[in-house]
Amino acid sequence: MNDTILVVGGGPTGLAAAHGAASVGRKVVLVEKADRLGGAPILSGYAKLVPSGEWAKDAIGRMIARVESNPLATVHKSTRVTALEGGPGNFSATLSNGQQVQAGAVILGTGFTHFDSINKPEWGFGTYEDVVTTTQVEQMVGAGRIACPSDGRTPERVAILLCVGSRDRQIGREWCSKICCTVSTNLAIEIKELSPKTDVFIYYMDIRTFGLYEDKFYWTSQEEFGTKFVKARIAEVTIAPDGKRLLVKGEDTLVKRPIVIPFDLVVHAIGMDPNEDNPEIAKVFGVGLEKHGFLDRGEHYTSSFSSTRPGVYVGGAALAPEDIDTCVSHGLAMAMRAVGDLAALARKAA
Amino acid sequence: MPIHEKSLLDPNKVLTAEKLVIDGVDVSGHWNTMILPRTVADYDPDFQKTIRALPGGENVHRCWQCGSCTNSCTMYAINTDFNPRYWIYCTNLGLQSEIVKDKDIIWQCVSCNKCTNICPKDVRPEGVMKALAHWLEMEGHTPKSRSSMFDEEFTRQCIERGRIEDSEVMFKFFKASGEDVKALLTGGWLRVFIERMNNLPLLKAGRIGAFLARLPITGPLKMGWMMLFKPRTRSWARTGAVLAAYVEEQKRKAHAHG
Ligand SMILES: Cc1cc2nc3c(=O)[nH]c(=O)nc-3n(C[C@H](O)[C@H](O)[C@H](O)COP(=O)(O)OP(=O)(O)OC[C@H]3O[C@@H](n4cnc5c(N)ncnc54)[C@H](O)[C@@H]3O)c2cc1C
Ligand code: SF4
Ligand code: SF4
Ligand code: SF4
Repeated sequence: MNDTILVVGGGPTGLAAAHGAASVGRKVVLVEKADRLGGAPILSGYAKLVPSGEWAKDAIGRMIARVESNPLATVHKSTRVTALEGGPGNFSATLSNGQQVQAGAVILGTGFTHFDSINKPEWGFGTYEDVVTTTQVEQMVGAGRIACPSDGRTPERVAILLCVGSRDRQIGREWCSKICCTVSTNLAIEIKELSPKTDVFIYYMDIRTFGLYEDKFYWTSQEEFGTKFVKARIAEVTIAPDGKRLLVKGEDTLVKRPIVIPFDLVVHAIGMDPNEDNPEIAKVFGVGLEKHGFLDRGEHYTSSFSSTRPGVYVGGAALAPEDIDTCVSHGLAMAMRAVGDLAALARKAA
Repeated sequence: MPIHEKSLLDPNKVLTAEKLVIDGVDVSGHWNTMILPRTVADYDPDFQKTIRALPGGENVHRCWQCGSCTNSCTMYAINTDFNPRYWIYCTNLGLQSEIVKDKDIIWQCVSCNKCTNICPKDVRPEGVMKALAHWLEMEGHTPKSRSSMFDEEFTRQCIERGRIEDSEVMFKFFKASGEDVKALLTGGWLRVFIERMNNLPLLKAGRIGAFLARLPITGPLKMGWMMLFKPRTRSWARTGAVLAAYVEEQKRKAHAHG
């Protein structure tokens, strides 16, 4: 029997799982398709994370360093798993770099894909330069300056549109991406910190800053940083006659009237889609997908983080939209599951 | 041309022209009615600051539109046009015209504070109603309220003399508010007030001695004397000047916000 743990995906989930398994003395092989570890927060250059307020490169950087420096962990970057044979205690994985990995359990932390705003053309992304996504604003905050991409001016007025690519039957996305309300209220704070004269408006259907993020982000953003909240789902973003500012059109449901408001910068709070690789992942690893296209999970109460294939565990944003803190817990929990199940197998064999 | 469902329209958005010529074509009669769009075309981000600078309006920006205030409101129960939640929203987005449109109802808030007691965000809507009524008055959208007239005279005396003279305050207040003092004395509350101060039943019963013994004499005399000589608190001049300067400064600040 082999008790090496194969972890696929080097984001917060995979990094926590890899460290967890190594911390109890198991050998770990981490396979990451990108050329760097860290997952979305690193690959997309997030600025300060909620709720810690730490820069992503510092916080996630520590998680990466902890795994990369661990003698029990072998990391394969720019690599994928192309085939997986066997079962609990004796899996055999083929990697795209030609290597074979023998492992007792497999942990999938393959995460999500950012919603591509091109799929909502009426909101102007791809048509107007000054329509951007939350990831782009994260990068602006990281670089220390908020600017309109068209001409580099500091925006006087910014609109953040929530639920872009979430909660929308039109485009087959019937889920809430969970973190974008919190991320957006936090970005509004960061914009205000960098450019105190800029007014930020958030267009919402609901505000879902769950748990302790309610007062820490939503209330603070509104009460201390003057973020204004407008209850409207925007119909269309067009350009003003001056060819410069953008016009945000919709219905303000609270004044029951149409609105056409000029803005300098419009930000899409993009949602978390199922990883675009999921159909392939499902085939390679022999696991099921749930109806939205995320990886399916088994019974959770007594068989936590099991996928539909014994010995293969799944957690983090691969399961559903999740925040980093939750993903870290999923990673650790999966390490526990994998190590525990292998120990049970070993006892049975003895 | 007749408009169906006219009730859905804002009356001041419907324009009817007696004679109308568009691009040289006379369209009077048949096409003489225009409906202006109701679109909100901009926000005034400074309006919220103006209201926050007025007493009572400080927390208006906290509102998240749950509607608890309106739901609990004494006035809303009587008139569904009285909607504090809505005015708070318009304040936060700077939709001043919406506030002005309701100028004739906003002041009707009875300060019962049910809204303030129920509000989960501690917005203190009752205070916001006061601030809005105050703003409407300041901007001349509504006539000066009687309480403002009273406050003005009261404050003037405080600043000038460091004390107030009750009867002078009342006298000037009555004058400013155009109150008919004679009518008050003969049939209004002032008459009731005087009757209660003086024990009239004693007079009616013919017990003149007992009646006179209870007659307030020194008080009114002193009042008359004070009204003539307008005494000041000692060495008030400097304090008064400082106070006046402070009040001016606060006003300027509130204005700068707006
Ligand atoms: C704009 C935005 C801002 C956010 N900000 C925050 C925040 O401030 N705080 C917070 O808590 N959360 C935030 N989130 C959510 C956060 O990004 C996720 O919770 C987190 O990234 C999920 O971690 P994960 O490891 O499960 O997935 P991912 O971060 O997606 O990592 C998955 C990893 O697996 C790799 N991978 C994928 N498929 C394969 C494959 N087939 N083979 C090998 N490797 C593969 C990917 O390259 C990636 O490195 C934000 C999300 C968005 C969209
Ligand atoms: S978290 Fe907020 S912005 Fe994101 S999908 Fe849910 S409701 Fe919409
Ligand atoms: S204080 Fe005014 S606004 Fe508040 S509940 Fe009473 S009447 Fe309504
Ligand atoms: S109760 Fe408070 S938070 Fe709710 S709508 Fe009224 S003022 Fe706003």
